[in-house]
Amino acid sequence: MASEDEISLLVIVLDVNPIWWGQQAQREDEFTLSKCMDAVMVMANAHLVMSRTNKLAIIASHCQESHFLYPSKHWKAGDSCGDDSSSAGGDGKYEVLSVANKLISEEIRSLMARTEVKGHQTDTLMAGSLAKALCYIHRISKEIEGKVVIKAAEDCALQYMNFMNVIFAAQKQNVLIDACVLDSDSGLLQQMGLLLELCGIYLVSDLSCR
Amino acid sequence: MDEEPERAKRWEGGYERTWEVLKEDESGSLKATVEDILFQSKRKRMIESHGQVRLGMMRHLFVVIDTSRTMEDQDLKPNRLTATLKLMEYFVEEYFDQNPISQIGIITTKNKRAEKLTDLAGNPKKHTTALKKEVDTACVGEPSLYNSINLAMQTLKHMPGHTSREILIIFSSLTTCDPANIYELVKTLKALKIRVSVIGLSAEVRVCTVLTRETGGTYNVILDESHFRELLLHHVKPPPANSSSECSLIRMGFPQHIIASVSDQDAQPSFSMAHLDSTGDLNLSLGGYYCPQCRAKYTELPVECKVCGLTLVSAPHLARSFHHLFPLEAFQEIALAEHTGEGFCQACQGELKDKSVFTCSACKSVFCVECDLFIHDTLHCCPSCIHSQGPS
Repeated sequence: MASEDEISLLVIVLDVNPIWWGQQAQREDEFTLSKCMDAVMVMANAHLVMSRTNKLAIIASHCQESHFLYPSKHWKAGDSCGDDSSSAGGDGKYEVLSVANKLISEEIRSLMARTEVKGHQTDTLMAGSLAKALCYIHRISKEIEGKVVIKAAEDCALQYMNFMNVIFAAQKQNVLIDACVLDSDSGLLQQMGLLLELCGIYLVSDLSCR
Repeated sequence: MDEEPERAKRWEGGYERTWEVLKEDESGSLKATVEDILFQSKRKRMIESHGQVRLGMMRHLFVVIDTSRTMEDQDLKPNRLTATLKLMEYFVEEYFDQNPISQIGIITTKNKRAEKLTDLAGNPKKHTTALKKEVDTACVGEPSLYNSINLAMQTLKHMPGHTSREILIIFSSLTTCDPANIYELVKTLKALKIRVSVIGLSAEVRVCTVLTRETGGTYNVILDESHFRELLLHHVKPPPANSSSECSLIRMGFPQHIIASVSDQDAQPSFSMAHLDSTGDLNLSLGGYYCPQCRAKYTELPVECKVCGLTLVSAPHLARSFHHLFPLEAFQEIALAEHTGEGFCQACQGELKDKSVFTCSACKSVFCVECDLFIHDTLHCCPSCIHSQGPS
């Protein structure tokens, strides 16, 4: 087990491309974005609970932007969302978890509501989200290691250069990247994993057994 | 040969009133000035790019390390030799990080002779092990500039014309013992288009000045260890290519990575060709990279095939060199007071507390100082530009 003083930072990059998720919902009613979000939140909660000093960040990667779902920049450290104390004391849950869950669900709701998808841009900007994740890790953890988990849907080959730049930067920073690809192979992530020995785990999940 | 006017030395110039740089504020504290100086030194590394200049990406660099008597001097801790070797290890790592398709060789000189420590190779591990072992050698005698450059030249003159040939000398002694006229050697170097740069550890020596000036390299003398490190890092970036180097089509192989598992019928364990002449650990491996021309097996890339001579690289390695050609533009600096948008850095979501913020001219997004340094040194792409340009 890790010692008490080690801080472990987990950054999750989640692909919320509405086109892909929409098609997914048509193919298979069972597995929707909300189910995926639930699963992600379970993992996030598990990470936070493992040790008091663990930190978390979640980035949603959309067609035109990537948005930090957690922590929110408008939420300063001293502000404990205490204006509705019902959420904190409500069900005896670990406070950090309840705050995090609430914040994440609100943010993603507002993100999906406000972004309009323009016609030609249908591919997710994975490289950009990874770049932001790395900047965040660079700011937060000068000495401690960070880890990035990607849940990706499909590749965009046109982003190769930027993606490679980001991967090399991650390698220099000693950041591990685990990739979980839903429903299809990702050549880009595979190449990254094999050649650069950076990928911890590379999984292709079969959706029916989720 | 020496008609160029020499640069005026610092002691020949006027009085420099260095105490006037420090200014006190109202309460008598120097904090603001010190912060300013630190800030400027952080930003100093944003050297302006040369623009549309051809760069030598495939570099063959020989590093000559002086291991003569003067390296036992303790002005660098614990002594010059140990400090130099440690910095060399760091240099080798950074060099292969930024120039993955290049090669380095190391030469040491002492006792009026020169010896090759490692041959030109593209694998950083070999060089770092050799450097680690070299710490124990005794430093005796005098260095020989002529012999070490000659030794390097023997190998470099056979290199193909499109590569950039360089020699970097780390010179600590003030004397050199040469068997022949070094100015003749300088003429040969110019003819072969080899660029020689020197980093001096003691003082400026005239023969080094002439050597570097004639061949087009740089000559610097270190002030202290951190300056030494900075000077070494200057040599990591690819230099502008010689105008007369031929540009030809270069053959390269892009081998596929074959992974075989024990349960495969045809898979047989085999040796990698790279281990043929090494006496260290010989490992049998199932999968690897197979040269497209001769099917020889290698475990690591980039490498030059021993059987057919083809350079084998992988696409990410070439992509790594790409950012030198299209460097990211420096961001514009705006004082915090004038900035009117959100108070958060768009890359790391931190609050903007420093006295100036940086804007990308293309997408107008705002970054803090730390992110600016990180983006320019490591990331080489603006996180917001990647978003706004979309797939392109």
